[in-house]
Amino acid sequence: MSQSSLRVQVAPGLSLANPVIAASGTWGYGDETADLVDFRRLGAIICKGTTLKPRAGNPQPRIIEVTGGILNSVGLENIGVEALISEKAPAWATWRVPVIVNIAGDTVDEYGRLASKLDGVAGISGIEVNISCPNVKKGGMQFGTDPVCAAEVTSAVRKSTSLPVIVKLSPNVTDIAAIARAVELAGADAVSLINTLGGMSIDVKRRRPGLGNITGGLSGPAIKPIALSMVWKVAGCVKIPVIGCGGIMNAEDALEFIMAGATAVEVGTANLVNPQTALDIINGLRQFIRAEGIGNITDLRGAARL
Amino acid sequence: MKQLKAKVLSNDELLSYPGATYFLMRVHAPEIAAVSKPGQFCMLNCGPDVPLRRPLSIHRVHPRGDVFFLYSVRNPDAPDTSRITIKENGLISTSGKGTTWLSKVAPGSQLNIIGPLGNGFSIDNKSDNLLLAAGGIGIAPLMFLAERAVSLGSGVTLIAGARCKEGLYPDSLLPPGINIIRVVESVENNTRYIRGKVTDVIPLHLAGVKQIFACGPQAMLEAISNHVGNKAVTKPVQASLEVRMGCGLGTCYGCSIKTRQGMQRVCKDGPVFNIKDIIWQEVRI
Ligand SMILES: Cc1cc2nc3c(=O)[nH]c(=O)nc-3n(C[C@H](O)[C@H](O)[C@H](O)COP(=O)(O)OP(=O)(O)OC[C@H]3O[C@@H](n4cnc5c(N)ncnc54)[C@H](O)[C@@H]3O)c2cc1C
Ligand SMILES: Cc1cc2nc3c(=O)[nH]c(=O)nc-3n(C[C@H](O)[C@H](O)[C@H](O)COP(=O)(O)O)c2cc1C
Ligand code: FES
Repeated sequence: MSQSSLRVQVAPGLSLANPVIAASGTWGYGDETADLVDFRRLGAIICKGTTLKPRAGNPQPRIIEVTGGILNSVGLENIGVEALISEKAPAWATWRVPVIVNIAGDTVDEYGRLASKLDGVAGISGIEVNISCPNVKKGGMQFGTDPVCAAEVTSAVRKSTSLPVIVKLSPNVTDIAAIARAVELAGADAVSLINTLGGMSIDVKRRRPGLGNITGGLSGPAIKPIALSMVWKVAGCVKIPVIGCGGIMNAEDALEFIMAGATAVEVGTANLVNPQTALDIINGLRQFIRAEGIGNITDLRGAARL
Repeated sequence: MKQLKAKVLSNDELLSYPGATYFLMRVHAPEIAAVSKPGQFCMLNCGPDVPLRRPLSIHRVHPRGDVFFLYSVRNPDAPDTSRITIKENGLISTSGKGTTWLSKVAPGSQLNIIGPLGNGFSIDNKSDNLLLAAGGIGIAPLMFLAERAVSLGSGVTLIAGARCKEGLYPDSLLPPGINIIRVVESVENNTRYIRGKVTDVIPLHLAGVKQIFACGPQAMLEAISNHVGNKAVTKPVQASLEVRMGCGLGTCYGCSIKTRQGMQRVCKDGPVFNIKDIIWQEVRI
C-alpha cells in the first residue's frame, strides 16, 4: 500500500508525509540522533525554541522526573536566530523532512522580527509561535494567556512572513478555545496544543524546590487526558488544522488525538524516553489504518466526535 | 552512538556498606563495546515505572563484546546523611527507583541501552604517568581509564577513596600493573589504608604525574578544583561530572551548565571537563 495514506496537510503549503511531528525542545536541531533514528522519516521536525539573541537558559537542575512525566525548566536555551539561519538551515534545505522553527520573544515586535528573519530562508518550512513566554512589556504576563495579546503576536508574525504559521497554545489558561479563536482570526494557519502545564516539585530532604528555576513545565503521560480534552474543545471551534500534543507515547495515544479532531500530532517527552518512539508511532498508525481498511489517515480525523 | 537490546550476562552485588550497595552488571553489547572510550557513558532504560533513562558510566569493556556497569544503590534504611535529618518513619522515600529496579534485573533479560555517549577522557600522547582520583562510586569510569592507560604503557596511580573500608573496590578486580592507594575516612592508619580524604592524598603523589583524572562526589571535585594551579595541584585535571539528564543525547538541553567555555551540555560536550572550566555553583543535582 502506498505511504500517501498517512499524508496530511497541516497548513497551506505544508503537507507532511505522515502526521507525526517531533515536538520543540525534544529533538534539538534535527540530526543529533542521526546515528540512532532515520529522522528523515518523521512527518516534520520542530526545532528548539529560538529567540533573537542566543539564550543561556535556567540554572540546574532543569529536568526532574515526577510520577507520570517530567518537569523541565530548560528556559529556552538556544543558539539564536542568526546562528540558526547560518549554521542549521543550510543542512535542513537538503533534507526531505520539513523543519519548522519554533520562535519565542519577549515583545510583540520581537516575534515579528524573528518571523521576518526566517522568511524566505531555504530549509525552513514553517514557523511555530510559542506564545507561552512572558510579555515583558505587560509585566511578565504570558502572551498565551490573553486572547488580545495572543492575536497581536499572531498578526505580527503573519505580517512578517509568507511561511505557514502555527500558533502553539498554552494550557495554563482559563479558556483555551477563546485563545484559539483569537489566533485563528489573527491569521494563524494552524494551532498546536498543548505546551507544558505549570508545575513544580520539592526535595524534602533539602527543603528546596527540585528545579533550579523553582517552577517549570509538566509533560509526558500525566498530561495526556488534559491535552486531549483541550484538543477536543479547540477542534470543535476553529476551522484551521489542529495539531495535538501532550503525553503521546504510542500510536494509540496519537490516534486518540486524531479522533478528537487533530490533523497531526507532536511527540515530545517520549523522544527522551526512547528516540525510536516517533518512528514506532508512524508504523503503528500505518498498521492501524491497514487493519481497519482505512484509505487515508485523515478519514479518522474527528472520528470520535460523530 | 547505538541503541540496542543488550542481554544481561550477570548482575551481582559487589560490595555493601551502611549507605549503599554496589552492583556489577555485565551485558553483551558488542556494537557499544567496540567503540567505547573511557569516560563515556550509556543511557539505560530502567523499567516501565521510570520515565527517564539513567546515565551510567562504562566501567569496563571485555573484548568479547561485553560492557560492564558499576552502580550504586542507596540502601533504603541507611542513616540520612543529608544536611537536614528527618525521621524515615512514615516517609516513603521514592528516590533510587531506577537503580533499585536495575539491581533486580535477572541474567538473561534484555536491557534497552544507548551508548556510548559523551566525550570521554583524553590521554595525552606524552602522558607516561597518570594520577586517577576516585571518590566512592566515582571509581566506575576510572577503572576503564586505568586499563586503557596501562595497555598504552602509561604508569597509573589510583587513589581510591571510600567512607569505610567495606566501600572499597575489591583488589581482585583491579587491573594488574597499577599502583593503588586506599584512602578511607573511618579507619586507623596502617600499611593498607590511609585515613582521610582523597584530596588530602593527591599532593603526595604528584611527582612525575602528567595528567590527573577525577570522578567522585561534587564536594571532592570542588576541593580538587580549589587546589588547581597552586602548589597542591599543578597538573591539568579532567573531571567527570554528574547532573540530571533528560535525553543523554544532546537534544533536550536539560543537562546544560554554564562554564568558562560558555554553555555546555554535560551529556554531549561532557561529561568530562577540564576542571578549570567548571563554575561549581552551576553544577547541581
Ligand atoms: C555521566 C554520568 C555517569 C554516571 N555514572 C554512574 C555510574 O557509573 N555508577 C553509578 O552508580 N552512578 C552513576 N551516575 C549517577 C546515576 O546516573 C544516578 O545514580 C542515577 O541516575 C540515579 O537514579 P535512581 O533512579 O536510582 O535515583 P532517583 O533519585 O530516583 O532518580 C531521580 C532522577 O534523578 C536523576 N539522578 C539522581 N541522582 C543522580 C546523579 N547522581 N546523577 C545524575 N542524575 C541523577 C535520575 O537519573 C532520575 O532522572 C552517573 C551520572 C552521570 C550523569
Ligand atoms: C525538555 C523540553 C523542552 C521543551 N522546549 C520547548 C520549546 O523550546 N518550545 C516549545 O514551544 N515547547 C517546548 N517544550 C514543550 C513540548 O514541545 C511539548 O509541547 C510538551 O512537552 C508536551 O508534549 P509531551 O507531553 O509529548 O512532551 C519542551 C518540552 C520539554 C520536555
Ligand atoms: S540530557 Fe538532553 S541534552 Fe543533555
